[in-house]
Amino acid sequence: MEPYELSVQQTHELLVNREISAEELMRAYLERIQRLDPKVKSYVTVTEENAIEQARDADQRIKMGEGLTPLTGIPYAAKDSLSTRGIPTTCSSKILENYKPFYDCTAIRKLKSTGAVLLGKNNMDEFGMGSSTENSGFFTTRNPWNFDHVPGGSSGGSAAAVAAGLAPFTLGEDTGGSVRHPASFCGVTGLKTTYGRVSRYGLLPLVSSFDTIGPMARSAYDVALVLEAIAGHDPKDSTSRIESIQPYSEILRKTENLRGLRIGIPKEYFVEGLDAEMEAALRAAIRQIESLGARAVEVSLPHTQYAIPVYYLILFAEASSNLAKYDGVRFGLSERNVDSLLDVYLKTREMGFGAETKRRIMLGTFALSAGYYDAYYLKAQKVRTLIRRDFEKAFETCDALITPVAPTTAFRIGEKISNPLDMYLADVFVVAVNLAGIPALSVPCGISNGLPIGMQIMGPHLSEEMLLRIGYTYQSQTDWHTKHPPCWND
Amino acid sequence: MSQKEEVKVDEELVREIASLARLDLTDEETRTFVPQFQDILKYFSILNELDTENIPPAYLSSANKSVTRADKVEESVPTQEFLANAPQAKDGYVVIPRVLIEQ
Repeated sequence: MEPYELSVQQTHELLVNREISAEELMRAYLERIQRLDPKVKSYVTVTEENAIEQARDADQRIKMGEGLTPLTGIPYAAKDSLSTRGIPTTCSSKILENYKPFYDCTAIRKLKSTGAVLLGKNNMDEFGMGSSTENSGFFTTRNPWNFDHVPGGSSGGSAAAVAAGLAPFTLGEDTGGSVRHPASFCGVTGLKTTYGRVSRYGLLPLVSSFDTIGPMARSAYDVALVLEAIAGHDPKDSTSRIESIQPYSEILRKTENLRGLRIGIPKEYFVEGLDAEMEAALRAAIRQIESLGARAVEVSLPHTQYAIPVYYLILFAEASSNLAKYDGVRFGLSERNVDSLLDVYLKTREMGFGAETKRRIMLGTFALSAGYYDAYYLKAQKVRTLIRRDFEKAFETCDALITPVAPTTAFRIGEKISNPLDMYLADVFVVAVNLAGIPALSVPCGISNGLPIGMQIMGPHLSEEMLLRIGYTYQSQTDWHTKHPPCWND
Repeated sequence: MSQKEEVKVDEELVREIASLARLDLTDEETRTFVPQFQDILKYFSILNELDTENIPPAYLSSANKSVTRADKVEESVPTQEFLANAPQAKDGYVVIPRVLIEQ
């Protein structure tokens, strides 16, 4: 077996048994990236020098048997919105093309301390705005299952890299489905963490009250190994949760069935517009989960249809505020061939931002402007309360919810790009989770016309352990997560 | 504005927002945004179906409370390192085009 075919867990065993060195492993991945990524286009930056240094350090640790963790020597990549010291961090935006942070974000710092090896940074929709990576300021990532289709978004590069064997795991970021949506389109396992479970320190913000960092990998077990390493309280993020984390992977190793678990099926998520083959795959997955001891019950989330407008209005408003700092003064692109400071702002922002980013900054500025605030932003925040209450009520009668991730499998490149509203509607099943701040896991559960189907498992705040248990038990009985795209053997 | 009224999006409104957002849009961008904004805002008006008179807004996304820490001096980033990303810097400051003009 080639190194790229192995899970995090299997790779760890090879490393500690000294059957492969971290440096050999890292070079095998770099070679594969060089060969295959020109087709997939999942990386915006490959950090060879950094990877060599970190791999040698990992080999030293393995040799001495000191400071060993399940991730020591394991290569990985991160979405390009996570700050990496001295390494370009662009959010796939021209406005940050040459920006190199002078510090690591907490999640990257924690992975560094485990001895994991950073291979590079992944492409995304600019600042996380999109569901296809077509809004990247640099290029569009291809879906490894079919290069004519999108990988989903916004963490499309991070999902495609895992699916194509270009990294055993990646860190994505989910503001309104940006981990789960591409995970389902690319057939990998992705976790949207509880808001505050992983520190946001050093994450370039899109929507500060929605943003969450989460792992993407080839199994729920590998996701658990990564979550253990990156989660936890951080004094540098005042919204990070103080509750201690759980030994996720150890709990999984002891899990045999799902006896006693009540799974809610929200009827609002199984409606017209959901592809028939996807619905069949989901129903089969639910039956499988029932056969493991869980009991399925129908529940209602009555405000589901309002989630899209609420999500986008809050996003527009917070994003327009968060992106005000890109003004050509302290960092990033700056147009200086002008007469006044005002022109520096105007020309820099006009040149540096892509069409979707401008559209959202504009709509946010409008929604927050005098005379419209109550009708749009305040109204959205009030309906957000109703959506959150829907979930609280549902979780009184069930432990977890199972829904589709997206209404269809991966769409074609170019299919939705000229109609922004159509693109927004692709997020219909994922955004409510971010409005409520709860965690959700995306797990592969089928293939339709050669493209993967994903199942979404949602739970109450800080229920990552239960979501991973459901995903892990399901994956112990099924093989959807072990299927690979045609380019796997290239 | 009342919540029931529909906003009429035209080029003038788009230009006004662009100026507030510090974006120097081209004429073509302005024209493209008019129907797109109209469509998006029209779709979003379904929120008006809901009576939210007595519903509190949800500003915080979880049960988090405000956190404070001791006001202690800690190591900070050296100015030079911070300024390495500045488009233009001099003597430890970022440089911008002149704002005040001598009369």
